[in-house]
Amino acid sequence: MKWNSLRSLQLSILLVRVLFVLILILMCCVPVMVHWYDLDGGSRVGLVQGSVYWPLCICLYLTAVCGEVCLFRLGKLLQNIRAEHVFIPENCTHLRIISWCCLLASIPFGIFGIWRFLSFVVALAALFFGIILRVVKNVFEAAVSLQEENDYTI
Amino acid sequence: MPIVVNLDVMMAKRKISSGELAERIGITPANLSILKTGKAKAIRFSTLERLCEELSCQPGDLLEYRDEA
Repeated sequence: MKWNSLRSLQLSILLVRVLFVLILILMCCVPVMVHWYDLDGGSRVGLVQGSVYWPLCICLYLTAVCGEVCLFRLGKLLQNIRAEHVFIPENCTHLRIISWCCLLASIPFGIFGIWRFLSFVVALAALFFGIILRVVKNVFEAAVSLQEENDYTI
Repeated sequence: MPIVVNLDVMMAKRKISSGELAERIGITPANLSILKTGKAKAIRFSTLERLCEELSCQPGDLLEYRDEA
């Protein structure tokens, strides 16, 4: 089987869909997983000691919502690219929302850092992704403007 | 935009239809419509040249600057 950009795109769409479903399933398992973590696993270094059951549950549910929104928008973006609608304002909106979701996802993890310092690393990573995507969105906006100018040059 | 395209005025003077002009200058009727309605962002010299040739006019007859202030 020869690899090309269309197959690559199809693989991306498939991965996005699989991850979307996986997060939905994991959302149902959050209480169980957090209970295991609370009993045994993970670094316990933080300002506040004791059970992290509720803070971690809330943190994971909030970020899961952000993640699902991200994946939904990512799917739409990939579908537009497959339809050869690349530099359109709708894609800028998708990128902006994905970027904001990453930035918002960093907040619960930042707050959870009070219980577990290691969580700050995740918050920083989400923040980093959010900023990178924001720059990509800015580049896309400039490209949309150039495309429009090219389309309306007679 | 303060640049106004007076293509429709010139076409009316020369009594030529959009479809006919589009065919003569070799652009699509959709692109001619963009030009006529003032949605165009830019015009190529080659297009302007063909328009002037077909309509027997000067670029200034087709394009006009209007101060919006």
